[in-house]
Amino acid sequence: MGETIARLSMRRPRWVFLAVLALVVGLGALIPRIAIDTDPENMLAADQADRVYDARTDARFDLYDTLVVGLVSDRDEVGIYTPEALADLHALTRRIQAIDGVVAEEVMSLATVDNVEQVAPGTISFDWLMDAPPQTADEAAALREAVERLPMFLGSLVSEDGRAAGIFVPIEDKNASHRIAAEIEAAVAELGIAESVHITGQPVAQDTFGVQMFEQMAISAPLAGLLIFAVMVYFFRSVPVVVAPMLLAMVTVIATMGLLIGLGYTVHIMSSMIPIFLMPIAVVDSVHVMSDFSERWRAGGDPREVMARVIQELHKPIIFTSLTTSVGFGSLLLSPIPPVQVFGAFVACGVLLAMVLTLTFLPAYVAALPGRTLDRMAERVHGASARGGEGGRLARLVAATGRLATRRGRALLALFLLLLGVAVYGITQIQINDNPTRWFKAGHEIRIADRVLNEHFAGTYEAYLVVEQRAGGDLAALLAERVEPLLAEARAAGVALGDDWASLLAQSRGEDIQATLDNLMFAIDDHLFEVGATEAEWWERLLTATEAVRSEALTFQQPEVLRYLADLQQYLEEGGYVGKANSLADLVRTVNRELVSGEAADFRIPDSAAGVAQTILSYQSSHRPGDLWHFVADDYRSANVWLQLPSGDNQDMQRVLDAVDAYVDATPLPAGLALEWAGSTYINLVWQGEMVTGMLLALLSAFAVVLVMMVALFRSLWLGILAMLPLTLTVSLIYGVMGLVGKDYDMPVAVLSALSLGLSVDFAIHFIQRLREAVAEAGGDWRDGMARVFAEPARAIVRNAIVIAIGFLPLLVAPLVPYVTVGIFLASIMAVSAVVTLLMLPAVVATWPDRFFAVPARPRPGAPTDTRKEV
Amino acid sequence: MPAFRPSFRCFFRHPRTVLAMALLGLAVTAGAAQAQSTDVDEIVARANQAAYYAGDDGRSEARMRIVDGSGREQVRQFTLLRRDVDDGRQRYLVAFSRPADVRGTVFLVHKNPGAADDRWLYLPGLDLVRRIAPGDKRTSFVGSHVFYEDVSGRHLEDDRHTLVETTDAHYVVKSEPKDPGSVEFAAFTTWIDRDTWLPVRSEYARADGRVYRRMEVLEVREIDGYPTGTRMRMEDLDSGGHTEIEFRFSAYDLGIPDAVFTERSLRNPPRQWLERQ
Repeated sequence: MGETIARLSMRRPRWVFLAVLALVVGLGALIPRIAIDTDPENMLAADQADRVYDARTDARFDLYDTLVVGLVSDRDEVGIYTPEALADLHALTRRIQAIDGVVAEEVMSLATVDNVEQVAPGTISFDWLMDAPPQTADEAAALREAVERLPMFLGSLVSEDGRAAGIFVPIEDKNASHRIAAEIEAAVAELGIAESVHITGQPVAQDTFGVQMFEQMAISAPLAGLLIFAVMVYFFRSVPVVVAPMLLAMVTVIATMGLLIGLGYTVHIMSSMIPIFLMPIAVVDSVHVMSDFSERWRAGGDPREVMARVIQELHKPIIFTSLTTSVGFGSLLLSPIPPVQVFGAFVACGVLLAMVLTLTFLPAYVAALPGRTLDRMAERVHGASARGGEGGRLARLVAATGRLATRRGRALLALFLLLLGVAVYGITQIQINDNPTRWFKAGHEIRIADRVLNEHFAGTYEAYLVVEQRAGGDLAALLAERVEPLLAEARAAGVALGDDWASLLAQSRGEDIQATLDNLMFAIDDHLFEVGATEAEWWERLLTATEAVRSEALTFQQPEVLRYLADLQQYLEEGGYVGKANSLADLVRTVNRELVSGEAADFRIPDSAAGVAQTILSYQSSHRPGDLWHFVADDYRSANVWLQLPSGDNQDMQRVLDAVDAYVDATPLPAGLALEWAGSTYINLVWQGEMVTGMLLALLSAFAVVLVMMVALFRSLWLGILAMLPLTLTVSLIYGVMGLVGKDYDMPVAVLSALSLGLSVDFAIHFIQRLREAVAEAGGDWRDGMARVFAEPARAIVRNAIVIAIGFLPLLVAPLVPYVTVGIFLASIMAVSAVVTLLMLPAVVATWPDRFFAVPARPRPGAPTDTRKEV
Repeated sequence: MPAFRPSFRCFFRHPRTVLAMALLGLAVTAGAAQAQSTDVDEIVARANQAAYYAGDDGRSEARMRIVDGSGREQVRQFTLLRRDVDDGRQRYLVAFSRPADVRGTVFLVHKNPGAADDRWLYLPGLDLVRRIAPGDKRTSFVGSHVFYEDVSGRHLEDDRHTLVETTDAHYVVKSEPKDPGSVEFAAFTTWIDRDTWLPVRSEYARADGRVYRRMEVLEVREIDGYPTGTRMRMEDLDSGGHTEIEFRFSAYDLGIPDAVFTERSLRNPPRQWLERQ
């Protein structure tokens, strides 16, 4: 089939070229519609439960994506508390508030928040903490004293060591954070701020990643292409010939990206790597074809005829390696992570496109070249071999490898077994961890800002522990339950209130039950003045009942509930699980202290719900009453504990989760309360978790599918299993080494697991298929066949490994860690799987030849010895 | 010089003002022929009188609905008592009755034009009487979009006033703070009704001229002969939130004694005056 297609393509090269051109122009025209998406939240589907809850939490508590700007002073003693530094902080805060896209009234810094303070015995003051910067050192010191009394701000707005001051910058759209960060930097430069200023926060990291990712796409992919081109020119000694696979790779990349963008998918961190993946993979098959072609070409030959023979020999491995690679990438569809699914699906498409092009475009192109060009190429390649150049050295090395593997089979197998043992041990040592900030290299300014600010502050990573009242939520039913007996009693006493009650209730219908109750109370209150004394008595009782329903439901005004939160926070802070925890309990305790005495002893929750309510009412008499709603929902039935973490590592987030679980197990939540998690640090943990299980599933299914394909291809269970051996060892080894060297199993690594399988089986397919053909040609003698395989076919494998490994090398210098990881990982897969394939397969065949090849070579009836011309 | 300050309390009008105006020979009966004035100080003074000084004393019940930018709604209900002393000095007592958990919370103001106001707060749940330091009065009044300063009125002498325009219905006055560092606005513009002298709209603007806060009187009724704003709305254009207040059961010249407005009565609320008659 492959041969037919190739012959057809060579007869109608113009049609092929036109079709390819149409493909490139048509799909390439869609590329300018590109939309970048760097939001790790999109690692979860839009309807994923945790993500939905997180969005609800943001809405319920008015939470925004936040940048953290830190001013760090190098003055040891006074730190940030000097008139100059505070003036800088003040000026920068005002400038930031004026930036478009910043939620100005929610910006938090010393210059925007209130202080509640008992300024003299019995006199309290609600005032700006720093409306204007202090003019003298004494005033600055007084400010320090005030700040250090405010647990809500200490560690957040100013570091406990006094060296750093923070500005929390909530932004409307996280996709604007890179621009806003740049505007802040410009403001810093313009103001001539003396302190060192750092900008961090997950939105900046993500958005900056997006910008740099885009740059990487523009640098890495072409660079990879250039290197691959150079290596191939070295191997094949002919620029015109080597242009073919390069064109093929470019067509594949442009068409795939155009299709992806044209279908409306955003280019995520994952899909930005598609060109990098496709570029080397697309040329793999071409290398085999050209390797074979250059060996077969003799001056004066008919390029069409030679190419037809090459394709006839290679079409099967080409199709199967492409299919297995597609399966490897396609298995990513089984992961629950949408960007990974998109990545997998489109790389799989690209691989198949490359396969079609290898069977059509490549033959058409090569056959269309003038005979002289091909002569020169063959001359140089053969000449180089003859002179003992690359070709000769490579040939001798490969042949020696084959002899070694065949002779020392058992020893090699023992060695492989040992390696597998080490790899399995290494795998057990793998740490599952990720942190989008670490996607930047250690020296990147974002990493530096992250390090410096988290050294000084309680933490720039946020997670939200949401505590919800789940019991007694049906206030309407509760109201009915309380009111019915009263109405019945009144009826018995000869007072009919039912109709009036029903109509008051109907006219009070509000947006939610709380609003309804508020309206109802007002309505009854008004009604009281329209009725006579007897009825009024009953209405008073109904009003009392309604008020009771309204205020009993206010869970987070109950002192014991707030005390529970306070204790939980203390446990988390003292245990070092979080840098700091802030909640309604801190707000109430601080205001209570200042209302009562200003002394530390009164930093406590009031004893009654009314006391709590009035403390909150006092707090609302500030410049920023709305800050209350960051900590409690307006129905007082859910509260938000804001946790500041000094690290965004998933493992650290997991420790917080475990600590909270342990605490709640030991000290049960007050009745009816339940815990939920939200916040970007938590969301990262969630998708990481889904990634691990999702990828394991993808890996196992890819393994199963590839095994089935191998058995089908070779029509032999044993050959199928044989084909799986090198990749099993390769993948195990790579993950084992990762575990041993302590590289975290993170997003890029997880994604690579399944697709590495599809790639590393390629060499085994080529090897086994060519071995079978060679053994058949050698009349069934597997030793002879083996020797033949260790000529051109093995050289093609090695060339391929080198081409791909080198193709991924530019990724190593990328400033973004996931790219480096992918580069190292894929280069290692290529190198290791080539070596393992060339050593392990001969060793296994030499050890159990009967399993794979009947000796002597008389084909048994029905035995799958000759599949060359089939499929 | 006396100056004017708009407020949400628009329901008192001082009879002495009426007398004074009558003596000046101006047509002043409420709702009568339109006033003619070009002297901005006189305009703001009369508006201030109309807004804050109707009758010798007054009583009103207020219902407040606070809606923030995210649609959260809170309600407050309180009774407001006022008594004028002399030289423009006044006493205000605000006693909360709803929500139930803040019932009995009382806020007392002794307004002293030309000097700092005295303010107290009583929190029954903590059994605490606290004096409020004479600091910034432009903080939220119990979580609403109204400021403490709006309750008893901004001192006229704190701003410089200019008559910007006289329309058929309104005097439009622009006021700029004498101490810009003490307030969050750069200027505010007030529309004063030429019939009633009530400030019916005020808009607060930042230095760039952008309006971020707006007060509007939505309904005016004549009560005991005084045009009285009975519904007003304060909008925060930054956050998109607003507070609407309805004043009900307003009455004037009730003879509320001075003793009602003392620190002592905070713990023992003067029921007689707080409850509806």
